[in-house]
Amino acid sequence: MKIVVAYKWAPNPQDAKVRPDGTVDLSRAKSAVSEYDPVAFELARRLADATGAEVIGLTVGAAAIDTPLARKAALSRGLDRLVLVADDALAGADGTRLAAVLAAAVTAIGEVDVVLAGDSSIDVAEGQVPLTVAGQLGWLGLSRVSSVVADGEGLTVERDLPGGVTVLAVQTPVVLAATADAVVPKVAGMKDILAAAMKPVEVLALADLAVPGAQVSLTTLATARPAGGERQAVLFDAADPATAASQLVGALRQAGAL
Amino acid sequence: MNASQSWVLVADDTVAAGLVEVARTLTTEVVAVVAGRLAVAEAVAHVVDRVVWLGEPADAPVEAFAPAVADLLAQAAPLAVIGATTPGGRALLGAVAARLQAPVLSGLGSVELADGHVVVTRSMLGGVSEHRTRFEGGTAVLAVDPRADVDTAGSPVPVEEVVAPPLRTARILDVKVKEHAAVNLDAAKVVVSVGRGLKAQADVALLESLAEAFGGELACSRPLAEGVDWIAKERYIGISGQHIAPDLYVAVGISGQLQHMVGVRDAKVIVAVNSDKDALIFAQCDYGIIGDLYQVVPALTAALRGTA
Repeated sequence: MKIVVAYKWAPNPQDAKVRPDGTVDLSRAKSAVSEYDPVAFELARRLADATGAEVIGLTVGAAAIDTPLARKAALSRGLDRLVLVADDALAGADGTRLAAVLAAAVTAIGEVDVVLAGDSSIDVAEGQVPLTVAGQLGWLGLSRVSSVVADGEGLTVERDLPGGVTVLAVQTPVVLAATADAVVPKVAGMKDILAAAMKPVEVLALADLAVPGAQVSLTTLATARPAGGERQAVLFDAADPATAASQLVGALRQAGAL
Repeated sequence: MNASQSWVLVADDTVAAGLVEVARTLTTEVVAVVAGRLAVAEAVAHVVDRVVWLGEPADAPVEAFAPAVADLLAQAAPLAVIGATTPGGRALLGAVAARLQAPVLSGLGSVELADGHVVVTRSMLGGVSEHRTRFEGGTAVLAVDPRADVDTAGSPVPVEEVVAPPLRTARILDVKVKEHAAVNLDAAKVVVSVGRGLKAQADVALLESLAEAFGGELACSRPLAEGVDWIAKERYIGISGQHIAPDLYVAVGISGQLQHMVGVRDAKVIVAVNSDKDALIFAQCDYGIIGDLYQVVPALTAALRGTA
């Protein structure tokens, strides 16, 4: 069995500088393996250890996603090898573009049984891309996966849905997106980090992949800083908690918030 | 492109009013495709102009209908396709977006038609920036909050059955209904939320008392729901949790990371209680008390109850 973990090397928007005109400068935001993706690495490793499968990391994006640090950060999380598509043609690409490239890379890797992904990325945070990858491949895509175990010919998958935990019998190939707390990811130790340097990395050229062309494009007409983002904190000193508490309650009553 | 039609993608859920509402702002004709039970199609038939129903799902998950829905939309090529920001909705949208090679936009503010193009405002990167964006070249694919049940007061249109077999690669074996009571943070006017500043599970009671004194609901940031499981996951506010807009949000022992604040950005008034005067939350609140929550919370509870 072959398991691909599709992850994102993403900047944390917490560190973004938003200019007065609403344009965003991410140059000082450090990139990392996106917050929830280690859960997918861990689920993949556990499934692989139980089945003897191979775990392949896959990420796509602008040229800057391929650095020694970025390679090591992924390879130290239980991968057997890593596949990258790093091309500045993908800078600022929308989710459907990224999904099309991810799907083309999955096809290029060949004979993949399971694509695993995290809940959502730290920057875009929509949880859409894994399901668009499934659409692109024509496979079943299931999100909110809290557990996946091999079961004979197929998989038993549990999903944490609003209506309750749903148990499914699933045949591969399939795309699965994990919940943010499906498993607690193992923290990479020194041994994992040293071993990462020895693992194979393959860089696929975007031009060599069969990626369909975009049909619909987006034009940005205007950007702005969101209104309401500028709250002016009125602070109360809690040297005397009872006084601070009654001052706050008074202020909230006066403002009509109570 | 059929510019006179918008299509809404309905998973097995009558909570779809938000989808139809957006579709109505764009076109006069609204078509629904329902990947769910007949009862759902019959409910939706009250609020749209055409309903295409794909047949009983039996033990197939909604997601198994995604390729069939994509086939229908590729033929229809409407002005817009509107799906839900739910797990099933995202799967249907993903298949449609892949087939049409179109981006999916969410986090939407306004949606309008301008010179024949769909134009939206949307919040970007967890809400740090707002963009006004125009779709060009084909169908606009939008993900929106399905919001509320459809109103079944009006007279329904007939349900058209277009039998489309789902993918047969998944079967639902069992649904284990959750034991704890459902919470509706959306409806709460006041929400009191607690984070990593809390030291022990037993201390959740302090916050429950405060929430009660405010006449509000208790919520939490991610570490308390997913890290230590002290508070039910349904009460977790943040990027992968609930997004709410109460009149008053009281954040206790919460540092104010973007991943949390994106869930309460639209709250009318935000109050912060934190012992760290440099906490990010103090730059994002309307009122703040710098102090130890173990002293401030009981004092605040007493002040609200008039027992101070």
